Amino acid sequence: MYIHAGIVLGVIVLVFALARFLKLSTELAMLGAALAGLIVHGLVVPSRELVGAFAWFEVPRHIVDGAFTYFDVVLIFLTATLFMNLLKDAGGVAYIVRGIVRRFHRHRALALLFLTVVMLIPGALTGSGTVTVLVVGALVGTVLAYMGVSEVRVTAIVFMCAAMSAAAPPINLWAMMAAAGSNMPYVGFFLPLGVLSVLGALFSMFYLGWKGTPIDLEQIMTELPKPPRGMRWWKVVVPFVVLFGLIAAGRVWPWAMPVLGLPLMFMIAAAIVVLTNLGQLRLIKVISDTVEQLLPLVGVMVVVGILVQVMALSGARGLISLGIVTMPLVAIFATLFIILPVSEGLIQYAVAPLIGVPLILLFNMKGFNPIIALAGMAAMWPIGDMLPPTSVVGRATVMILGFKGRYYSGFAKTCLVPAAFVLLLGSLFVVFSSRLGFLVGG
Amino acid sequence: MRLNKEWTIKGIAMAVTGTILVLAGIAFAQHRNFKEEVVLGPGVTTVRTLGDYFAPLKGGPNDANVFILGSGEPGGTMLVLGASHPEEPATSLTAHLLVENATVEQGKLIVVIHSNPSASTVTRPGDAYPRFFHIETDWGVKRFRMGDRWANPLDSWPDPETYVHFPSGQLLAYMDVRNLNRTWPGRANGSLAEQTCYAFMRLIEAEGVDLVIDLHEAELEYPIIGTIVAHQNGLRIAAMASMTLTAEEFRIGMEISPLALHGLSHREIGDHSNAPAFLAETPQPFLDRVRGITDESLLLTGKDEFVMKAGEHGLLYWPIDEDGWPIDVRVGRHCSTILSIAGFWTMFNRSKPLVVTGVPRYADVVAEGVGRFFADPRGARAQVVLE
Repeated sequence: MYIHAGIVLGVIVLVFALARFLKLSTELAMLGAALAGLIVHGLVVPSRELVGAFAWFEVPRHIVDGAFTYFDVVLIFLTATLFMNLLKDAGGVAYIVRGIVRRFHRHRALALLFLTVVMLIPGALTGSGTVTVLVVGALVGTVLAYMGVSEVRVTAIVFMCAAMSAAAPPINLWAMMAAAGSNMPYVGFFLPLGVLSVLGALFSMFYLGWKGTPIDLEQIMTELPKPPRGMRWWKVVVPFVVLFGLIAAGRVWPWAMPVLGLPLMFMIAAAIVVLTNLGQLRLIKVISDTVEQLLPLVGVMVVVGILVQVMALSGARGLISLGIVTMPLVAIFATLFIILPVSEGLIQYAVAPLIGVPLILLFNMKGFNPIIALAGMAAMWPIGDMLPPTSVVGRATVMILGFKGRYYSGFAKTCLVPAAFVLLLGSLFVVFSSRLGFLVGG
Repeated sequence: MRLNKEWTIKGIAMAVTGTILVLAGIAFAQHRNFKEEVVLGPGVTTVRTLGDYFAPLKGGPNDANVFILGSGEPGGTMLVLGASHPEEPATSLTAHLLVENATVEQGKLIVVIHSNPSASTVTRPGDAYPRFFHIETDWGVKRFRMGDRWANPLDSWPDPETYVHFPSGQLLAYMDVRNLNRTWPGRANGSLAEQTCYAFMRLIEAEGVDLVIDLHEAELEYPIIGTIVAHQNGLRIAAMASMTLTAEEFRIGMEISPLALHGLSHREIGDHSNAPAFLAETPQPFLDRVRGITDESLLLTGKDEFVMKAGEHGLLYWPIDEDGWPIDVRVGRHCSTILSIAGFWTMFNRSKPLVVTGVPRYADVVAEGVGRFFADPRGARAQVVLE
């Protein structure tokens, strides 16, 4: 079993590396690696009790089954981006940016605080850092740019705050999935997750955004794109009010409100943008551009699902999982800051049941507070969203802000200090979880 | 020339994708539409469906068959739920075995083989489950559907951003709105799983159910394993069953249903009806995250080197060795647990006796294999219900 899983894992890594060397895109390289892993598994699978040879008829089923692993997330990406792109096309984003600059241009600290709150809300409500980037990333990025923050720092701030928004309560998907997998109620996480995410977001915003140039209001107002003549504040506010209203209604009246799902909520908000700007939008072009813009991101999510399926089938997933949980506890603590982000970069949310559940059961067995420890881990995972091969939120940030610099030596390097702050904080929460039990509040 | 090359590549990619989709579609359709054949045993007096107790479910994906095994003699009524989580196949096999073999001398036994049928028509994306598993019988190989923990998204979608349990208001992961063991006591206008639990609560009322046993399997990394979890109203019975089974047949623990953990059968059925609820867990290495190759072999033999290695590192809550946890052992444990709980119910409730016969105990199932207890659906006098 070890040899088999090792061979499959080796083939996956080798084919991926080779494909990247041959300049294939990340998505195609991963697809090639997953398919090679699947074929090798079928060819060399050891004889197993009660079952015959590998059923090749199952290969297409495994590919499609895996491809649908993150279907819901993909739908959210598409609909959220369409909503924001329509708003941008209508001139709504320019309108908001001008408003924020005008109101906060004298008070840098207040402006940064306000922008942090704006960044935290979408992810806190949806659990997705990508949604934060897609909904408010461009807007916040533009304001920061006019506050004299460099392009690379703006990109890093947007990513870090988006990551912290995904970690923020009430919805933290990693914590929810790991809690569900270990049969813990998702209760008591609000305060620990809140402390971690708010501290992480504030540190990122102020560390990277404090230095800048004072805002020259007149110059900025001249430079900023002017919204179209018919644009009014209510045309911008109403779609957001409806969107957040629908999300909030599901929480306030959970048993009276029909379940719409985030994709439909974003489509309703998008429809309102269309209706309030009739005849002014290039609807087909915006839809077409949105799909084109998101194709790499969607491709990665689809292919990662296939890869996860192949790894589960062949035992490669188990081998990785086993390798992590059988490490000595001190080694786990010392390497959590690497293991968690790297595994998130590899398999996204699937990391919560794969590594999170065994780890949380292990911590529980050793007498650590599982809620605080899981909250600590759940704040560290989102940092991995800028790491390869998926880099989902990182890529979305770079894409949405039109960042032209280098991804690793520019953007990722700038994220290092705030990321290290969050990872240190998260690690401390895990290590000292039994002493932080007082945070288990609600 | 360059354009032609691009279109050739696109054409090949489309053709390959189309072929994969068609072949996968055939596999998915085979799985979703496959029906298990249940031969009605000598004890079955009536077959109803869940829709008879809550009309909106009638004809829908979760209109589960409800097998009623009556005795004609007054006594207690026991409801046994199989496959609340269809990825735990020892539970549906045990329920299936009860329907084909049990006879009730006193009282009434109600059995549901697939309590969340929708969840048995899908496997978990990303987890590479097999679609079917097969059991050797005296008359040939019998095929069963492998399922998932959650109802099929084709039947219950979309999920909310977060699932708010009714009526406690407890927050749970969004997909648990499709998890039958997180949606008790259910809601008439809720999700499919909530409606299903609501229907079961109406069944419990209508049939005067006195006790409920919800069958499960668990990964060895999970602390609630090899045990009976009991609502506080059923502690005496669970404690006696646990002690006797441990002394005479196999080790099994006993746990009290946590008061703060909502949505689970052992908490909510007991809280919202007069019936004490018990949840029986057997060990299933297939569900462990550290498992090796994911296939039917692991599902049925319960043998896995990686899980064993995790055990050597003290990471498991239940032992495992080279013998694994075969399906016969797991079904046998459930059979004896059900019989033991029924026996102690009768001991503590003399006015409502429940006497079930014809069901093999642990040693019988282990010795003869679970397949030995399934009748041939092509047999001369076989009355078959499709499940």
